[in-house]
Amino acid sequence: MRTLPMALLVFLLAGCAGVAKVESGERGLGERMLVSLDGPWNKVSAPDRGPAEVWTMEGRPVDELLIYSGIKNEQVIHATAAGANRKNFAFRSGMQPDEIVAMFEGMLTRDGSTFKLVKLAPADFGGAKGFRFEYSLTRKVDNVQLSGLGFGTVSGGELFALLYQAPRLAFFPRHQPRVEQMARSARIKT
Amino acid sequence: MPGPAAAQAAWEIPARFARPEAGSDEGGLWSMMDREEVRLRKSPFSLRDPKLQAYVQDIACRLAGEHCPDVRVHLVRTPLFNASMAPNGMMQVWSGLMLRVDNEAQLAAVLGHEIGHYLGRHSLEQLRDAKSRSAFAQFLGMFGAVGAVGQLGLFAGMFAYTRDHERAADSIGASLMRKAGYQVAEAAKVWENLLLEIKARPDGDASRNPFFATHPPAEERQRVLAQLAQESPGGVGNEEQWREGVKPFMREWLRNEVKRGQHEESVALLDRKIALAPAAADYRWARGEVYRLRAKEGDLDSAVTEYLAAIADGGEPPDTHRGLGMIYRARRQSPEARTSFQRYLELAPEAPDSALIKSYVEELRT
Repeated sequence: MRTLPMALLVFLLAGCAGVAKVESGERGLGERMLVSLDGPWNKVSAPDRGPAEVWTMEGRPVDELLIYSGIKNEQVIHATAAGANRKNFAFRSGMQPDEIVAMFEGMLTRDGSTFKLVKLAPADFGGAKGFRFEYSLTRKVDNVQLSGLGFGTVSGGELFALLYQAPRLAFFPRHQPRVEQMARSARIKT
Repeated sequence: MPGPAAAQAAWEIPARFARPEAGSDEGGLWSMMDREEVRLRKSPFSLRDPKLQAYVQDIACRLAGEHCPDVRVHLVRTPLFNASMAPNGMMQVWSGLMLRVDNEAQLAAVLGHEIGHYLGRHSLEQLRDAKSRSAFAQFLGMFGAVGAVGQLGLFAGMFAYTRDHERAADSIGASLMRKAGYQVAEAAKVWENLLLEIKARPDGDASRNPFFATHPPAEERQRVLAQLAQESPGGVGNEEQWREGVKPFMREWLRNEVKRGQHEESVALLDRKIALAPAAADYRWARGEVYRLRAKEGDLDSAVTEYLAAIADGGEPPDTHRGLGMIYRARRQSPEARTSFQRYLELAPEAPDSALIKSYVEELRT
């Protein structure tokens, strides 16, 4: 018995339940965000990601698009387990972009993965002033090097964000344009 | 029943171990750990710095004596307190442990403890006890194996031996420290310091922590180690040597500590470090970052105090000015915020968030 296959099996099982196709065209994400898709995605059931809707092109754990729509003040942004020792990361309405990125970093590294911010810059998102960031992530469970891209804004005290991450070779560059297009199309109802 | 000093006096270091036969249970375990070691060498989490690696390896060798050729130290970039030793001689030392110890003697206490498990061949006894599959998986976790089983749990490398094994390893570790010329009294301080952090956690109760579930109670441990230290006075701590040896890595380790988001533990750690080195700008900056990110009532004022102290100490990380700017901006102290952000950009023009900070500077001009 090997430790890595065991861990990967758990990870894979966590990601393979409940897949539904998301067709291209205009789609609502939560109550207040709309995006326009130029191609289909796969939506997966991923309780481990808490309030995020999780989409994928290649299937988890290869790539994942995390969609946060209308996260409220003090809402935890990931799944929590009773009695777990690990730190929880929650959104606060007054957070600045760097604090929101730090919150996502905390969420993505709860399992011991390592995160490195590559770029953080102001950018419009959802029709409002927001931010765009790029990062790299070394996943603890299998040592795979991922590239990541995120967009976010706070509207009416609620967080709206998209995070996409995939292995930096082949998969990330393959789908990055599609994610960028989706982010450009995002609209948040005020 | 003999006391700890008598038990220690009766203990003799065994001769070097021959590689067990491949067909035996111990041989199979060694083979498995050999494969993990190959993976560890290639892991992106491996801290590959020849100078630091040689330094820590040398400390391990001073403790291990003639077993030195069989003990292979691997430094791992993980911000938690942990070291582990596999039965094949693969020793892992995590960066979170190196951040926490204050001198060579404290590191030697932990390494000596782990070598104590190795010399006592405690893992073999544990292996033979681990009959079920789930127990075997937990058993593998004892060595902090590269695979996730060994890494996910806090203190994963340390809570699967029995209390008797832990007591024996403490005793052997203290004996090895004394033979290597280290202050045995520093061993008790390691556990005192760790307990300070654990008690600072929001749940507060150290006894509920899995680390203490199978380890002897911290108070007992401190008492026994202190007793052993009394009977073996003298020795060196080598604080200055340790500080110089880890200096190039301290800022990165502090940054990773802050990123853990365990603010209360980090404050307890940094309070202690600052008490030992009040003029260390990096510690003041790190405590400022923790306060700023925690942002409870009064924390932002405390963060400003820490950042300003770091600047006064000199040689502060560029992020000190960024943190100050963030707080001043939130408080609408525009001139101060602009000055801080400009200083940050001067010191770190290629920072990943420079575009965002430049936009703040522009915004603050209006």
